[in-house]
Amino acid sequence: MKLSRWLTVLLAAAGIALAPAAQAQEEIVIGGSIPMTGVFAFAGIGINAGLQDYFKIVNDAGGIKGRKIRYVFEDTGYKPDVSVAAFKKLTGANKISLYYGDSTAFSRTINPELERLGSIMMAGASLATEINDPKKFPAQFMAGPDYSEQIGILLRHIAKEKPAAKVAIVYSDSEFGRDPVNEFREMSKKLGLTVAVEIQTAPGSVDVSTEVIKLRRADPDYTIFHGYILAPIPEFVTQMKKSGSKSHFMGTFWTMDSSTVMKMGEAGDGFMGVMPYRYYYDTSAKAPMLDKIRQLHPEYQNTPYLQGFLTAMLFVESAKRTLEAGKPLDAKNLKAALNSIKNFDTGGLIGVPITIKGNSVPVGRIYRADMKTQKMVPASDWIVVE
Amino acid sequence: MIGFDWLMLAEVSFAGLGSGGLYALAGLAFVLIYKATRVVNLAIGEMLMMGAYFFFAATSSMGWPIWIGIIAAVIGSGILGAVIERLLIRPMLGEAPISVFMITVGLSSILVGTVELIWGADQLRLPDFMPSDTVLIGEAMVSPKIFYGFLAAVALIACVLLVFRFWRGGVALRATASDQAAAYSMGIDVPRVFSLTWVVAAMVAAIGGIIVGSISSLSPTMGVFGLSVLVVVIVGGLDSVPGALVGGLLVGLVESWTGTYFGGEFKLLATFSLLVLILMVRPYGLFGTHEIERL
Repeated sequence: MKLSRWLTVLLAAAGIALAPAAQAQEEIVIGGSIPMTGVFAFAGIGINAGLQDYFKIVNDAGGIKGRKIRYVFEDTGYKPDVSVAAFKKLTGANKISLYYGDSTAFSRTINPELERLGSIMMAGASLATEINDPKKFPAQFMAGPDYSEQIGILLRHIAKEKPAAKVAIVYSDSEFGRDPVNEFREMSKKLGLTVAVEIQTAPGSVDVSTEVIKLRRADPDYTIFHGYILAPIPEFVTQMKKSGSKSHFMGTFWTMDSSTVMKMGEAGDGFMGVMPYRYYYDTSAKAPMLDKIRQLHPEYQNTPYLQGFLTAMLFVESAKRTLEAGKPLDAKNLKAALNSIKNFDTGGLIGVPITIKGNSVPVGRIYRADMKTQKMVPASDWIVVE
Repeated sequence: MIGFDWLMLAEVSFAGLGSGGLYALAGLAFVLIYKATRVVNLAIGEMLMMGAYFFFAATSSMGWPIWIGIIAAVIGSGILGAVIERLLIRPMLGEAPISVFMITVGLSSILVGTVELIWGADQLRLPDFMPSDTVLIGEAMVSPKIFYGFLAAVALIACVLLVFRFWRGGVALRATASDQAAAYSMGIDVPRVFSLTWVVAAMVAAIGGIIVGSISSLSPTMGVFGLSVLVVVIVGGLDSVPGALVGGLLVGLVESWTGTYFGGEFKLLATFSLLVLILMVRPYGLFGTHEIERL
């Protein structure tokens, strides 16, 4: 056999051998460090389901430009060291382009690695203000407003509802709790609101009676809680209401899941807070994507589910725009594609079209607890932080 | 001192005494075990947590009435205390104290894991069973849960003190605590006393857990409360029941005053400064037994 024919046969054989590998490369792999167990499991399980559902919807519709999505994740127990280990393991075994991280600590720890790799864009559960800095965290984003923006949304609503109102903030003595306190001070001043008191509670504190005494004496028109999931908010609200306080009580995203607020019982009636997404059961406007979710799951899906779902939508949209531009799926291109999103329709998950200029989606709406119907009902229009 | 808000000081002090009562109750459970068995039980916060979860299971999951729920939680915790003593602590009799100490560290992880497996890691709320109307002492307003929790804690501590004084089992326990060898020689069944102590301590912790859980919420991290209790018993004296009471009230007051006049971020600083101060002046705590060890 002539040499040229040998070469042709060899190349053909190599082609057959490499075919599955080439096909595998066609997949878009998305990884995740997900807290399926531990203190943040209530969120992790919902986030995971939201991510999986949207990826399945996209795959069933043919994938992204014909390329199927493969989602791989590891349980982290909400421990940053385990999250980092999961990241190393998953990125070592797969060519990952997009990744979901589970905490601020992880987002901060893995940031230099993301910059070194240059191949992965990451989003996550962290809504920390510091992550919303495209210069320091160029390969990351969050599918909602950061904590400072959430406080801004609450204060804008307060200033509109009661100009020159007295406002108070109660926050936990933790990184999570302290995050938006500066913004609270500055924005209150800017909006002509008076800061009645700032109260910090010790982490894990059981009894908050002394803090309630301080809050009662400050007599704020509005009290914002931040840095908690549930406790000690119900005890604050109950004691304040029993002492005759007329203050309105408000929370931020991680407190705002419907089932969490309903655990406050009767005292929680009228509790308000900022929500970046429509609740699962909110049928006050047309929302085809929520309809789809309700078809997939007839039972209530929590707010972390919606956060996971929207993150998946933004992952897919960024990948789609990158591929359409004929560019490789790396961090720089994916982030540029994300930041090219203008007036994007989320299918009603968010009530207004969204534009992503930096690392966050600075939109939210105030919802209020109605204990009679056991639901959160809209208390404001959608507020966009410019 | 014109312009000073004395009413606020009174309210803050009552709140401090109230939460101090809860510290004292949990401290009592710790002291009981230490006094009788010389075991430093780091899992006391988790035992308290188990009592609260038993109460939750009985009332919220099974739908039993509150009082039956309390009794069920106390009995359930007593059984748990007996099982812990029989399976984990008794085999360690005669071993180095550090080994037993480490067993209790492991025990706390086991209890947290058990709770996460059965009830999950989410925060849960206990049904409201205490009167919810604000209590007025003079003009000072006191949180009802703290007020009634304090009353329950004081009543329970008084009961335990009376039992120690007059009941045969209590006398046996005191005898064992004073001198194990002498107690053996006088015919006291020392291993049984150990068992009894763990059962009673777990039952006391269960009541503490129910009160703490109803004030705050239930979660597997609830055992962190045990760390504050550790400070209380070291301040009061590891083997002193009145020490747990005084230490609890003192720590409660200091935390309350500091939180109000300096800010919540200074609470822990003040508590541990108090601990260091007490240990410098009285290394065995305010009421602890001063032991002289000759090597």
